[in-house]
Amino acid sequence: MAEKYRHLYVVIEHEDGKFLPVSLEMIGEARRLIDDFNSKYSSNEKVVAVILGHNIHDLSKQLIEYGADAVIYADNPELKDVRNTIHTKVISQIAQDTKSLSEIEPEYTQDVKRPRYMFFAADSIGRHLSSTTLAELESGLASDINKLVIEDIEMSHQQKTGGAKETYGKTLEMYRPDFSGFLWTTILCLDNRNPAFRRDYHPQSCSIIPGVFESLKQDSSRKGKIIEFTPTIDPQDLKVRVLSRHIIKSEVDFDTPRTIVSFGRGIKDDPEPNIKLIENLAKELDAEIGITLPISKKPYQISQALDSKYMIPDRVIGTSGHKTSAMLYVAAGVGGASQHIMGMKDSGFVVAINPDEEAPIKNECDVFIKGRMEDVVPLLIDEIKKQMQITEVQ
Amino acid sequence: METTFHESMSKLNIAVIIKLEPDFSEGNVSYNPDGTLNRAETKNTLGPHSAIAAHAAFFGRVMYDAKVSIGTMGPPIADVALQQAQQISDAEELHLYSDRLFAGADTLGTAEVLRVGIGKMQGRIDIVFSGHRASDGETGQTGPQTAWKLGFTFLGNVISYAVDLKTRTIRARRLISLQGLPNVIEEIEAPLPVFISIDPTYKSNYNTVSQRLAFQKYQKEATQRAANFKDALKIFNAKELGVDETLVGLPGSPTIVYKVERVPKSTATRRAEVIDGSDPEQIRKVVAKMKEALSAMVIK
Repeated sequence: MAEKYRHLYVVIEHEDGKFLPVSLEMIGEARRLIDDFNSKYSSNEKVVAVILGHNIHDLSKQLIEYGADAVIYADNPELKDVRNTIHTKVISQIAQDTKSLSEIEPEYTQDVKRPRYMFFAADSIGRHLSSTTLAELESGLASDINKLVIEDIEMSHQQKTGGAKETYGKTLEMYRPDFSGFLWTTILCLDNRNPAFRRDYHPQSCSIIPGVFESLKQDSSRKGKIIEFTPTIDPQDLKVRVLSRHIIKSEVDFDTPRTIVSFGRGIKDDPEPNIKLIENLAKELDAEIGITLPISKKPYQISQALDSKYMIPDRVIGTSGHKTSAMLYVAAGVGGASQHIMGMKDSGFVVAINPDEEAPIKNECDVFIKGRMEDVVPLLIDEIKKQMQITEVQ
Repeated sequence: METTFHESMSKLNIAVIIKLEPDFSEGNVSYNPDGTLNRAETKNTLGPHSAIAAHAAFFGRVMYDAKVSIGTMGPPIADVALQQAQQISDAEELHLYSDRLFAGADTLGTAEVLRVGIGKMQGRIDIVFSGHRASDGETGQTGPQTAWKLGFTFLGNVISYAVDLKTRTIRARRLISLQGLPNVIEEIEAPLPVFISIDPTYKSNYNTVSQRLAFQKYQKEATQRAANFKDALKIFNAKELGVDETLVGLPGSPTIVYKVERVPKSTATRRAEVIDGSDPEQIRKVVAKMKEALSAMVIK
């Protein structure tokens, strides 16, 4: 049977001639999925990297070495900076370009109209680019995904199938952790097969959380096709002018400190004094302060100064924030949702302070101090003062 | 000279799209014993990111004497969120798009309703503001998708903006943070109309005396308006909006939620030594271990 949709397209992000790690992570995951797919369905679909920019031909070639079967690149001075409108248009053109599809697989030229699946990065660029691209392509998008499975799914759905039982083959199950990190929602992008409003929804697309999937080692023996796509550039789509770009230093630094002290909803009995305790502990340990995701939702009324300093997304440790491999990680009043664990599990020595021995953080720490942070942290501070002052002077 | 110019220029029309969300503040939020949100017990309020979008609109009200309209898609109780956003932004016009047909919409189905709704607002809209994302699991997609459907230039992660009414252009600063790279502030210029999703770090700055006076004047006006918010409220169902019913709600949504499950507990990666936090002797040993961990790794 002729198929209208084939392949997995991965939209690559790069900066100053280097790939963002998430781009290679997406290629790695795409490789794994498509290898399984091809053996399961005795098929030969491809991982296709899509890259836009200026002077990117050499960069394009490396994507093959990282696991793509083919690369479609658009090289144009107008694509140097990422601007949502023109990038959306060009990516959408590529997704509907039957010529490049036929270069990937000449034997399927007649039938294939669009990619089957499409990946974007869930970051400052990809999150918006994926949204506008899928609005342009009029298909579905799931955001902030951290697990992917391809399955044949049998279902009857009042709207999608008009209540009839249907099999949706080769469906991408897109797993999205919720804000608490305790729930996983599986999102599917399905054609409407309901006779009342039939509509095809392809590609099935998602944005992928950086740092979740593994990239493959660069391997120069991998071979693949490099396809140049010449975009149609409408001056109407170039209205945004980039005037300047400045690098700024974040006030929060999770890269250099040896120690991170994080707090979670365990501060709730007395938020303000508890945050001050954490501040003192962090000062003694020369540590940066991290928080869990729920804290960034500002659940407590505290002074404006502490609120704007600590209860901010920039401090979140976890899948939707920073990943750390600190030498010492102290988690005070942190329950241990998997989304937080993903951010701190590579730390060296982990100390947790929690009154509840059932808290999941217990499985992720080296020492579990059972007790309320109000009681434990002052003891810790005293003891650190006694033991550690000498090392401070080297 | 300036004033005559100002008067001859057509007014700036601003729209804000907002969302009613669970209230995550302590006392209002309720969690199940397993750590998940108890939606039935949790109150609802104007989402915090929507509130920031309303603040950005109010900045336009103060600086450019803009007219502000607010729209939301939601159940009838979402009028509370409109009132809260009106109190922040001094909006003249409140739109609630409410119909059972809209229920179950994903971001694309929601964006279609908002596109049509914004078209029904008074005056030609020059700037639409939306929050960065919702707090309860919405994905930050609705804003950019609405922008795309409107054909407005989309500007994400905006931390400040200024409008030139003469040339009908906007200058905005955007915060771009990418994995493994230092944050970048990008300054851009674009002709109106634009759609802005506002960054969580956005702050309005009122520097001059006249700005602060205007701020007070409009804030007072906002309080009066919000006290009688129903005067400004218009409720539209699908028919009144005139939406294509196959493009909204479930029929207009490519995606569905297939299942919701608990994230399985990760298998223990470490074996914790459990100690009693009230025992100073044990705390002493922990600190010794912390010290050892830090010094061991410095040597490499």
